[in-house]
Amino acid sequence: MRTTSRPLLAAVLSLALVALTACGGTGDTAGATASSGPPVKGGTLVVGENGDEPACLDPHQLSATNTTVVTRPIFDSLLWQDASGKLHPWLASSWAVSEDGLTYTFELREGVKFHDGAPWNADGLKANLEHMRDPATKSPLAASYIAPYEDSEVVDENTLKVRLSSPYSAFLNVLAQSYLAMVSPKQIKEAPASVCEKPIGSGPFVFGAWAKGQSITYRRNPGYAWGPPGAAHTGPAYLDGLEIRFLGEDSTRYNALLSGEVNVIDNTPPSNVEEVKANPDLGFSTVDRPGHPFSIWRNTSRAPFADPKVRTAFTFAVDRAAIVNSVSFGQWKPATGFVTPSTPDYADGLSEKIAYDPAEANRLLDEAGWTAKDADGIRTKDGKRLTAVALDTGAVPQNTQILVQAQAAAAKAGIEIKIENVTAQVSADRTAAGDFDISVGIWTTNTADVLWIQYSSHNITTTERRGQNTTRLQDADLDEFLDQARAATDETARAELYTKAQARLIELAPAIPLYNRPSLVSFQKKVRGLGWDHAYGAVGFYDTWIG
Amino acid sequence: MHGALRLVGWRLLTGLGVLWGAATLAFLVLHLTPGDQAQAIVGGENAAPTPEVIAQVTREYRLDEPWYVQYLLHLGRVVRGDLGTSYRLHTPVTQAIGEQAGATLELAAAAAVVALALSVVVALASAKRRRWVRGLASGSELVIASIPSFWLGILLLTVFSFGLRLFPATGSHGFQSLVLPALALALPIAGVLGHVLREALEEVLEEPFVISARTRGQGDMAVRLRHALRHALVPLITMTGYWVGALLGGAVITETLFTRQGIGRLLLGAVNAKDLPVVLGVVLLSAGIYVLVNLLVDLLYLVIDPRLRDAPAPAARTAVEGSA
Repeated sequence: MRTTSRPLLAAVLSLALVALTACGGTGDTAGATASSGPPVKGGTLVVGENGDEPACLDPHQLSATNTTVVTRPIFDSLLWQDASGKLHPWLASSWAVSEDGLTYTFELREGVKFHDGAPWNADGLKANLEHMRDPATKSPLAASYIAPYEDSEVVDENTLKVRLSSPYSAFLNVLAQSYLAMVSPKQIKEAPASVCEKPIGSGPFVFGAWAKGQSITYRRNPGYAWGPPGAAHTGPAYLDGLEIRFLGEDSTRYNALLSGEVNVIDNTPPSNVEEVKANPDLGFSTVDRPGHPFSIWRNTSRAPFADPKVRTAFTFAVDRAAIVNSVSFGQWKPATGFVTPSTPDYADGLSEKIAYDPAEANRLLDEAGWTAKDADGIRTKDGKRLTAVALDTGAVPQNTQILVQAQAAAAKAGIEIKIENVTAQVSADRTAAGDFDISVGIWTTNTADVLWIQYSSHNITTTERRGQNTTRLQDADLDEFLDQARAATDETARAELYTKAQARLIELAPAIPLYNRPSLVSFQKKVRGLGWDHAYGAVGFYDTWIG
Repeated sequence: MHGALRLVGWRLLTGLGVLWGAATLAFLVLHLTPGDQAQAIVGGENAAPTPEVIAQVTREYRLDEPWYVQYLLHLGRVVRGDLGTSYRLHTPVTQAIGEQAGATLELAAAAAVVALALSVVVALASAKRRRWVRGLASGSELVIASIPSFWLGILLLTVFSFGLRLFPATGSHGFQSLVLPALALALPIAGVLGHVLREALEEVLEEPFVISARTRGQGDMAVRLRHALRHALVPLITMTGYWVGALLGGAVITETLFTRQGIGRLLLGAVNAKDLPVVLGVVLLSAGIYVLVNLLVDLLYLVIDPRLRDAPAPAARTAVEGSA
């Protein structure tokens, strides 16, 4: 029955495979042409972004972290924030704030046109503010950023008077963010449901097509003449087109850059940054995002972290720099306070007070009455162990690593941390309900008002509303600083109040600030003129050209 | 022919039951998993929805109704042929699925062709061959079927995309970008099918009619192709449900890994956001595909085995399964 063997078949199979592969080959390997002449017009830039693809492209309906990268090419904002945190005119040519901080009068730039031909005017700004607030828009973020917005009055074609229900000095800051960018008022009025799918703005690029789950393409807006004041040039963008691909796998994204499938990648895997820097064909650029640094939040409304001494002891027990360096391969900077240095009104010189000091940690715990230790080396008081429950979703490996390392550090000081693995939904619900001791998180925004969002007692979750004060901190002094800062119409006074708030938070220690989250952007050397939107710390393409 | 009609009618009727069951299960699972629905739709890590927005979402999607009312509302909608509008994407579910279906279909079809061709070729070449040939074939099948497709995908990417730069690592633009994902999806399935097919072939090759064919002077390949293969295909057809399921399930991972568009990724996002209309839509679609495929399989049995054509409908399948 047995006949001759057929090694031939194996050969045929492998031949077929070779034939298949032979028609592959994408070419275009990163040939870095180091010419430094004047900008060249034309070409399409392909950008690799991570997998956090927005579900919709209406900035007012978004809270995704990639909103700025993805929507800024299409949309302009009222104001532009520079690297130092200063606000400049953009679609608003000037503004005035009333003495009581309740009325903002915007003079609007003339000659601006949306991609559908709609003119930019006071009516348009009003339509945008109303669109953000309208519950039907279902805004997850913009609506709460302009929560004090009461109503507005069209004074003339280019002047809008906006009234707030309570003073809110961060109003101008948040208006510079892409989440509050200006959508075509014609589209808002005539087809609000279409903004998600076919967004129309006034930006340097016109929306092209969106292959969901894959990529978004854009083409140049030839009539663009109102670039942001921080830009290196005026007039239309240099690039003919732009394509942003969502490449969820870190290694895929990095290798797509190496192979030349994409020209630029955002969210460079931290483990590859040194390789990028060592690669003569690639360039690297980074900025830290503004807002609240990534932190370990602690529930201050129940034992054991209701006691500030225990909280501070935990902070001292943790070697923050070592943890951050190990999980980020040295690419993230340890946080220096409760807002990041790239945030307006950041207070310098507080970082020594959140130093690594195990001896001080032990001293504080003794002082707090946790003097005895049980067989496991865990401190006890009145027969109770010093135990805290940490929630981890496991969705971000670095977060898990951080928690595990913090757990080890805490154990050395006699604090037991139990890490519970839960789904993101359960984590969100339990955090809101205060049913946890430790969780982790970050809040990116371009104003120190993030401290109100995270720590004001007015923003604790109640039965009526879910707030963002995760730690459930209640402190009268802090509340006063934050409320006064909101009411301040003078910049110096506001900065002073936020400095006080930041110092107070070091004393209250509701969280362990861990690191400032950076945008890590790598690119082929032939790609020139990548810019930044400093209101979020996101890469931008208005000045970009391919050499 | 009467039997065949009854079979089709019966299968379609039970198919409706399967669809209803799938929709009900999907609803219950999504409803009973912990987490606030409105928060799942507009909340999230970076979101701060205002009470007004939460109230709007709750009212608009009628999340404040008791679960059975919501269930009946969804069911009533689906019965009327309306899959509704996605909570998360704000687009009609049919559109959301339509945008993604083509890519998944392309991937699944390519993978099915590769898997079937590979398994048939390898099984034909290795059944009843020398020990080392069989060992090599069944060994590699075992390895390939046991590798998690995620890992296999990364392996293919590392070698053929990152290393040799032969294929792009991402996207769904044309034939080149289809090769690696189709292989990643097809290889584990080919491993299982190849194994089953060789076993069946080896059994058939012992049958008297094969010996009689050989004595009539037919060549080895002719015997294998003309006589043995047709019989050996029956277990492969019985396994259709398995490999269609493997294609659909594997697509989720493959699409994510290779950054392709597709139903799998759509479903993943919808489940995470408790986007009930999309979940129901995709579940109904998959269940519908299963029902259709199983119906086709039943009809194929009739084509392959003429004895079954006049048997009473429900008995047809058991008879075939028994003989297979």
